[in-house]
Amino acid sequence: MSFKVIKPGFLSTIQDYGRLTHGAHGMNQSGVMDEHAYSWANYLLGNNFNDAVLEITFGNVELEALDDMVICVCGAELDFKVNTQAASNWRSIQIDKGDRLSWALPKHGIRAYLAVKGGFNTQVLFNSRSVNLRENIGSKLSELDILDCQSSCAQLEHFIAPQYIPNYNTDVILRLLPSYQYFEFSDAQRSLFFNQKYRIKNANDRTGCRLDGAPMTVKKEKMISEGMSYGSVEIATDGLPIILLKDAPTIGGYPKIGTVFSLDLAKLAQKQPNAAVKFKLMDIHQAQKERLRFNQFFEIALNS
Amino acid sequence: MHKIILAGESSILIYFGSKIDNSLPKNIANFANELNTQFSDLIIDSIPSYTSLLVNYDLSKISYLEFSAEVQNLLENFKFSDSVQTYDLIHIPVNYSFETGLDLEKLLAEKDLSLDEFIDIHSSQEYLVHAIGFSPVFAFLGQVDKLIQAPRLATPRIKIPAGSVGIADSQTAVYPSESSGGWNIIGRTPLDLSLNNPESLNKFKVGDRVKFYPITHDEFSRYGE
Repeated sequence: MSFKVIKPGFLSTIQDYGRLTHGAHGMNQSGVMDEHAYSWANYLLGNNFNDAVLEITFGNVELEALDDMVICVCGAELDFKVNTQAASNWRSIQIDKGDRLSWALPKHGIRAYLAVKGGFNTQVLFNSRSVNLRENIGSKLSELDILDCQSSCAQLEHFIAPQYIPNYNTDVILRLLPSYQYFEFSDAQRSLFFNQKYRIKNANDRTGCRLDGAPMTVKKEKMISEGMSYGSVEIATDGLPIILLKDAPTIGGYPKIGTVFSLDLAKLAQKQPNAAVKFKLMDIHQAQKERLRFNQFFEIALNS
Repeated sequence: MHKIILAGESSILIYFGSKIDNSLPKNIANFANELNTQFSDLIIDSIPSYTSLLVNYDLSKISYLEFSAEVQNLLENFKFSDSVQTYDLIHIPVNYSFETGLDLEKLLAEKDLSLDEFIDIHSSQEYLVHAIGFSPVFAFLGQVDKLIQAPRLATPRIKIPAGSVGIADSQTAVYPSESSGGWNIIGRTPLDLSLNNPESLNKFKVGDRVKFYPITHDEFSRYGE
């Protein structure tokens, strides 16, 4: 079972849940930027939570199916078509040999996930199929690549009830855990941080999301480098936040004002450059409760 | 002495001290091993660095409060050693030359040292692996002799060849693969420390010692034959 790549797009890479166990070797975790859309895509196909999908950023992708397959696309609306017909996200679809799947330009959101029943079958490197462009682990799609996937068989159509489909056009409020150096920031710094709307500078960067806004006054010296968790928010020497994402380095020496809740990072992954974001405090117990519910629903078992 | 803080919805950060100290890396590595042994079913990953250990755990199995209490308990009963202990001693061949050491000529002039003096200072000492990061297999080694310390370049280079050996302030390191970076480049190792070599990933661990030894241009070119 496979696809042929006709148009590779701006940034399309195979991703799974990520490379979670090599932090001590200095290797970043990689993996999908929007865990919500990704998890639904695998769920609707009855896949394992960690099966590899194609992460399509901004579109401009065309694939030819070389076999009959069952697929599911979740996430951004990038004008997805099967041949010349508009096709739906958030449901499993039977496609036939010779069908052309295409994604043109972003209408709502920026990242779409193409899952195939059984998952894509690219090489596992360091316990994951996730492409890591920074470290040259795997590569982004290029023309005429053949994308292999596990054999796929017909299944009943599964879809999400419309009320569960996210609206990517609403403003994002990022809930922040008071972690790392939160208590070392002054009241004035925190007040500036929580009371302003920041704007996203670089939405397509998998390493970090830089925000633009009124900078806070910061001390210039760096700290001793320490391990950085997914979603931690550094305040760089220019006084502006950088939210560390999937391809971020494992350690770093800027003070961090907190850590964004992972399911809010999934929403952030769908925002265009220049979109507004605000921060709001979140309690660790609430975060764990919400994430636990998510993990249980999608049967995410990280350490098994 | 130690302190546990929140680092994320499923991670905590443990501080073992507030300053860089040669006794810390091995203690932190030992504690990480102990933690992994005791709670192998709960721990997803841990990242040691200079004075701290970041621990990612599985929130599906244990809550923040419960996990912090377990770690606190283990910290209280853990035997820390004040002496500097280390794991393995790793020898790294380096060709120190103006050809491979892109900043060497400038540094010699600034420091008023001959090439032989510079090589002797950099290669006579054993360094300690304090942290691994920036990119895979990039080991931060300390402490560089004051005579040859130099601040990072004002403008980082776009491309540094794989194997380049650099100095930044009191630290030295090998760039495992071609990358950008702002360290002063003083030579190059012929060892393949990139991810193309499957053995690279386990080459260094926090708490190891590293010693460089000089090789000639000829030995560099013929290395591994």
